[in-house]
Amino acid sequence: MNKKIQRSLAVVSAAALVFGVAAAQTSANAAPKTVTIAYQGPLSGGEASTGTDEQNAVKYAIKLFNAKNKATYNVKLVSIDDQGDPAVAGTVAPGIGKNKAILGVVGPAYSGATIASLPFYKAGGLVLISPSATRVSLTDSASPDFGGPVFHRVVGKDDLQGPALAKYATQGVSNAKVFVFDDQSSYAVPLAGYVKGGLAKVAGATVVGTDSVPNTTTDFSPTIAKIKTSGATVVIYTGYYSQAAVFIKQLRDSGSKAIFAGGDGVFNQEFPKLAGAAAEESRVTGVGGLAGVSAALEADYKKQMGVSSGVYSVESLDAANILLQGILKGNTTRAKMLAWVKAYNGKSITGNTIKFSANGDISYGLFAGFTTKNGVLVNTGIVK
Amino acid sequence: MFAVLIDQFWSLTIAGVALGFIYVLVSLGYTMVYGVLRMINFANSEIFMWGTFGTIVTSRDIFGYTQTSAPATGPKLALVLISQLLMSMAVAGLTAVFVEFVAYRRLRAKGTNRLATLISAIGISIVLSEIMRLLTSSRPVGSPRVLEKIILTEVWGANIRLDTIVTIFAAALIYFLLERFVKLSRMGKAIRAVSMNEDAAKLMGVNLNRVITTTFLVGGLATGAAGFFYITVFEYTKFNIGFTMGMAAFTAAVLGGIGNIRGAFYGGLFLGLLEVYASAVLGTQWKAVTVFVVLVLVLLFKPNGLFGEAVQTTRA
Repeated sequence: MNKKIQRSLAVVSAAALVFGVAAAQTSANAAPKTVTIAYQGPLSGGEASTGTDEQNAVKYAIKLFNAKNKATYNVKLVSIDDQGDPAVAGTVAPGIGKNKAILGVVGPAYSGATIASLPFYKAGGLVLISPSATRVSLTDSASPDFGGPVFHRVVGKDDLQGPALAKYATQGVSNAKVFVFDDQSSYAVPLAGYVKGGLAKVAGATVVGTDSVPNTTTDFSPTIAKIKTSGATVVIYTGYYSQAAVFIKQLRDSGSKAIFAGGDGVFNQEFPKLAGAAAEESRVTGVGGLAGVSAALEADYKKQMGVSSGVYSVESLDAANILLQGILKGNTTRAKMLAWVKAYNGKSITGNTIKFSANGDISYGLFAGFTTKNGVLVNTGIVK
Repeated sequence: MFAVLIDQFWSLTIAGVALGFIYVLVSLGYTMVYGVLRMINFANSEIFMWGTFGTIVTSRDIFGYTQTSAPATGPKLALVLISQLLMSMAVAGLTAVFVEFVAYRRLRAKGTNRLATLISAIGISIVLSEIMRLLTSSRPVGSPRVLEKIILTEVWGANIRLDTIVTIFAAALIYFLLERFVKLSRMGKAIRAVSMNEDAAKLMGVNLNRVITTTFLVGGLATGAAGFFYITVFEYTKFNIGFTMGMAAFTAAVLGGIGNIRGAFYGGLFLGLLEVYASAVLGTQWKAVTVFVVLVLVLLFKPNGLFGEAVQTTRA
């Protein structure tokens, strides 16, 4: 933990102690009720930065809630570290499923880990609201991966993002020749499929080549050779930002001027930072960050948490807020919380209405287009 | 299917040779330790990773380069590059010696069985990688561009880029110096003597501990040099890059014949080219499959690797 946060936490807890004592003296039986929710995602291992960013947003929501309702509720957070890995998720989920103190989970962050955890959460009737698990099959009742009735998500599915990415990548390019490649992850491969589906509907666009590159690759020269041979004018990558940064540098160094585009995995301000000038004019689809929603909110977040908000912070905040509002309404058993989420009808901090379909999807799923300008991904509006 | 290979043959070949030389240097770290101890140094992959960070810290924190600063030129360029190389080699060399002290020396003195050392080496490699993970908050680190990637000339349709040329020639030079050291120097002879017959070498008055420490140091220096070239070409590192590199370099060492310095050379180059060609022809998803199919085929017909026999006969 950051020293600053530690210090401020110490101040907060000391203050809580003082005020707590004062409150106890005035009203004898007004002890706040302690309730527990959990966050599940990668908190260690290679994907830890995603999980840490999401969990920070959940912590922020809880901090605000506890400060506002300190007389009635004290919400505690349990961190579930699945490393984003289905194998790890399968070992941590049984305990969480059985721990009835946990009323609801923000997460799991990743689709693969979600699938591995689901049997235990279904058995325990534990409601899940994922900020970032986008695999389509999770809310497809005909699929063995189907997460109902416990699984919900506040993020748009890949079958909405794929076409949006295809459109955004080829915007203003006539007769686009597109090269699509993925990082072999369970996120990237299906998304690449939806991108290709989306490209079929873009007038004049053709897919001239594909590749599938392990997410540990640092030498992209074979892929670049293929891109050059294919004569592609647009290159779409459906993996994550760190690889995208390595790739785009090598692509530009090879002399290629093809447009580079990526999905929400690439959507991270670290991408232009890592890739430097090579990332300029790259097109990325993603969900707007906290700063895009409100600069004041981002400033308060930074003040309270000591760090800037990261990926999926809006979704994580929304997911945490749904559970917290449920607690405030007195839904302090798992069954009541599940019913609360199913019937939820409220607003996202973005202003969109959150209302889950029978299978756990939200009704919207708008993806914004971002373009790198002077080292920053700049929001160019919703892709239509 | 072969259109890419035909169209881009020379680009691919140059990229493959540059990658191959990086593999050569990392495989030296594996093969030298194996030659002396008959044990795999599983921490070598993390030694490599620490070397890459040594390279970046030098340009970023000591010379103050950022992602947006202009690449260096003239004498400054040489100064920064050489400092980076030396720093990477120093960090990796010292880490290797540290690994030997912590994971190998004491266990060896106590005469424990070989598996205990294997586990302690895996243990220290996890420690090294986790320390770096915590220091960098699990985030990837980009390297500022020191050496501008100028396209020098075009040969048969392939761009000859400055960074690849520097990598190929400098790595070849370092390999050559190391080979001479092992072949001609007194310490090198002692290393080879221990490699051939540990007991006989001891009876001849060779200081075993010093030989082993030097071997780790030399292997670490080679691995550290690889870290520098890796950063110069790819400009990116992360706490977990060691695993993939270690796997590839270990494969190269086995392919060439582990324990044999020339084996590491040919194995590394062969693997670099094979990976690049296989990715281009079959698709990158088939890279690992192709590499390991070839490895199995080589081992079927030459169980000691391509150059393993030289060692076997001298040991018999």
